Amino acid sequence: MGNLELFLPEAMVLLGALVAFVASVVGLSGRTTWIISLVMAVLATVVTFVYLGAQGEPFFPGIYRVDAFSQILKVGVVVGLLLTLMMVGNTSSIRERSRPDIPILLFVASFGMMMLVSATEMLTLYVALELSAYGLYILAALHRLQRAGSEAAAKYILYGAASSGVTLYGISLIFGATGTTYLGAIAQTPSSPLLIAGILLALSGILFKLAVFPFHAWAPDTYQGAPHEAVTFIATASKVAAVGVLARLMFLAVPEHDTLVTTLLVLCVASMVIGNLSAIAQDDLKRLLAYSTVAHAGYILIGLVAFTSLGAASAIYYVLVYVPIVFCAFLVVCALGADGSNPTKASLAGLYQRSPLLAITLLVGMFGLAGIPPTAGFTGKWFIFTAALDSGMFWLVLVGAINATVSLYYYLRVIKEAYLTPPGELGAIRLTPMMAIAAWLAMAMVLVTGFYPRPVWELAESAARALVGG
Amino acid sequence: MPGFPILTATILCPLIALLVTLLIPGRHEKAIKIANTLCALASVILAITIWAQYDRSVGGFQMMEDMAWLPSFDIRYTVGVDGAGVVLGLLTAIVFFTGVLSMWTLKTRVKEYFAFKAALVFGVFGVFFALDIFAFFFFYEIAVLPMYPLIAIWGSTRKEYSAMKLTLFLMAGSVLLFPGLIALYVQAGGETWNILELAQSPQYTRTFQIFCYPFIYIGFGVLAGMFPFHGWSPTGHVAAPTAVSMLHAGVLMKLGAFGILRIGMTCLPLGAAYWAPTFATLATAGIIYGAFVAMRQTDFKYVIGFSSVSHMGIVLLGLNIYAGGGDVAQTGLDGAIFQMFAHGIMTALFFSAVGFIYDQTHDRDIRHFGGLVSQVPIAGSMFILAAMCGMGVPGFASFWAELLVFIAAVQTYPVLGILAIVGLIFTAAYTLRVLGKAMFGPRNKNWEHLVDVGVWALLPRAILVGVLLLFGFFPNLILDMIRSTVWGP
Repeated sequence: MGNLELFLPEAMVLLGALVAFVASVVGLSGRTTWIISLVMAVLATVVTFVYLGAQGEPFFPGIYRVDAFSQILKVGVVVGLLLTLMMVGNTSSIRERSRPDIPILLFVASFGMMMLVSATEMLTLYVALELSAYGLYILAALHRLQRAGSEAAAKYILYGAASSGVTLYGISLIFGATGTTYLGAIAQTPSSPLLIAGILLALSGILFKLAVFPFHAWAPDTYQGAPHEAVTFIATASKVAAVGVLARLMFLAVPEHDTLVTTLLVLCVASMVIGNLSAIAQDDLKRLLAYSTVAHAGYILIGLVAFTSLGAASAIYYVLVYVPIVFCAFLVVCALGADGSNPTKASLAGLYQRSPLLAITLLVGMFGLAGIPPTAGFTGKWFIFTAALDSGMFWLVLVGAINATVSLYYYLRVIKEAYLTPPGELGAIRLTPMMAIAAWLAMAMVLVTGFYPRPVWELAESAARALVGG
Repeated sequence: MPGFPILTATILCPLIALLVTLLIPGRHEKAIKIANTLCALASVILAITIWAQYDRSVGGFQMMEDMAWLPSFDIRYTVGVDGAGVVLGLLTAIVFFTGVLSMWTLKTRVKEYFAFKAALVFGVFGVFFALDIFAFFFFYEIAVLPMYPLIAIWGSTRKEYSAMKLTLFLMAGSVLLFPGLIALYVQAGGETWNILELAQSPQYTRTFQIFCYPFIYIGFGVLAGMFPFHGWSPTGHVAAPTAVSMLHAGVLMKLGAFGILRIGMTCLPLGAAYWAPTFATLATAGIIYGAFVAMRQTDFKYVIGFSSVSHMGIVLLGLNIYAGGGDVAQTGLDGAIFQMFAHGIMTALFFSAVGFIYDQTHDRDIRHFGGLVSQVPIAGSMFILAAMCGMGVPGFASFWAELLVFIAAVQTYPVLGILAIVGLIFTAAYTLRVLGKAMFGPRNKNWEHLVDVGVWALLPRAILVGVLLLFGFFPNLILDMIRSTVWGP
């Protein structure tokens, strides 16, 4: 047995789940449960930050690694958890009697995600993947308007289960080809067609989580039908975990192999193009954000397929800053859809008058997604493109830059609705204090990192070193 | 004041204006305006100080400041000015200050307006002073994006369409800049983003330069109103509110030309020389095309918009003569930078004169006016002064600028040079047509009630006229600055 203390961040999140569970069982009100969970989430965040530099193996050798890479992505996950929890206070898009259960599910899913980014053995990885997925499946089903919710959840579960099955099948092929499930040992095995097929299939489960084309079909429908808070969590924390495990798999288990790189390149370009073009036509904000997620998964893949330390660092940086950026956008969705309905572009009308804070949060979020300075989205894009060009992929940068411009079109149209259209009949929006704090917090993260990317970038670099160094 | 980071202080002026504007509650409109005026005034004073402190006998880049921004990625915050930077810094400050003054009467959404505008100016100062490619592009994009809300919210005449068109055009330019700029870093070995260090890189082979240069030239050229990618510019100018047009045509378009000079021509001289004839031809086409189209326009602002395409063509022509090398290279560069400055001030004056009339009449159709000079003598005179400057009448700054470019052009590219001079005749034709129709001629009875420029509204315009005349009569003031400094003695 290794040093169990290294497991403390995950343990704190698990404890959070238990505390929230007890709180809901003893019949505390939804609000009290929420406050207790918020405190637990803050504690977990602090602990995760404290263990940022930790290194070692808490369990049996080779299955679970704590290093700079895993710890940094865990920070991303808990920050996503904390931000989402801050917003859950007025969970009006979620069924009344399910509300006390939300924190439990969020904690359990985060726990799974944190394990996911540390797992270095195929079965551990698979179990963590499922653990993180189940919490999300349930969350997606809790929409107040029952039918829409169950449709979203059904799609999510069916797609998810299918892709899990494919992943499991891929793992079995990998085992057949190499006789091991340890990622480190797989990397040592000479490449064979069977192994490549296995890795591709195993990756598909992860690509599903990340909503990379052609595994993206669930995203728009699930985003549209699931409660806002659940979608926020899916769009933030789960992306961090997915990028983490994808990077881990690619760098540990994938030997430099042209077939795989080419496949991923095609998926990367297709994701950007299809995501952006589909987003243009969307009126429902959540669907728009879903397609934009598909496009952003494409950007992140640019960094990963560069297959360098720089590329990995840029992808990690991108997904870390993506959390607060996309959170800004979803905060506006939650505030506008407080009655449980899905906000459309029309419901943004006159936002600058109805709630200046929300309008500026939306501005920061959209500029961040579009990669406009001084938001962190700009530096993220710059790093990713540099990494790609460093690997000689000039045309990929060109395609990426073209896509960034296309995406600017629909992000600007969202901003246009918020800043140009007069409010008409729509009344002012009151934010709960916690929502306002969350908005300021997320904006500060986006802008401070945009002006001063050094701390986050250096973390991402050390993460990449840990990853590439094996 | 040795050691005082004067360039950073100048860049921070609009940022402070932005923060103060955000902090003041929206109902205190007067306070917001005063705060912005003070910050703009501070930037003018700082820009003049930079001018005074710059040692022309030494030349080169001065007042350098260098700070680690992101060391492990080799990104540094490096600022410094050469002659071009000093001149354009002053231009920005003047247009910022006069722009704030001429929007003193703004009533709608004052707070947001000044916030966006300050953000824009923040980016512009940064671009003119930055010597690090990342910093340069960072500021560049900050400067471009606020145009969207500024036009879309406070503009007129198909404002949403124009704003979107402008933004997408300029961002399409960025599509080329991303790979172009990053390739400079990667090709040089990935060790520095510093423009001056990159310029020394032995890795930039001729083949690479010829491949990479068009990305940078066209990418920045879009913002400089480069023909045939100028389509956003007239519509954007027409839709924008007065002070935004002033800033946009006056300063923002110079960012594009400046980017070509600072990054493209500095780092890739061989590529620039290779492409110079091609791009010089396009620039000349822009001069003639802009003047031609302006002749047929009936809207004041469209006339100025197309004349900007034409005048920016002169800047680009001068730059390409410089890039092509030869005896007159320096003359071409002098003319180009002088023209950037002169055109900036002149267009600002133009738009402010038109804006003043439009604010009262809500009409910009030239055919609806007549005898404006006798109705609103001061406003009309401002317009006439700007128009004379645009035609290149001696005594105004742009006379010298255009003269230098044309002298150089005739020697380097005789055909293009002569064509460009013919373009100038068209410029005279459209300008005189507007003047004859709207300013002189029979008075239009509809506009007898117009109020002329008051004392306060006169101040920004008087400053602009003063600057134009000052450098028109004493061109050496600015030419010394440009000449003795861009490359050092």
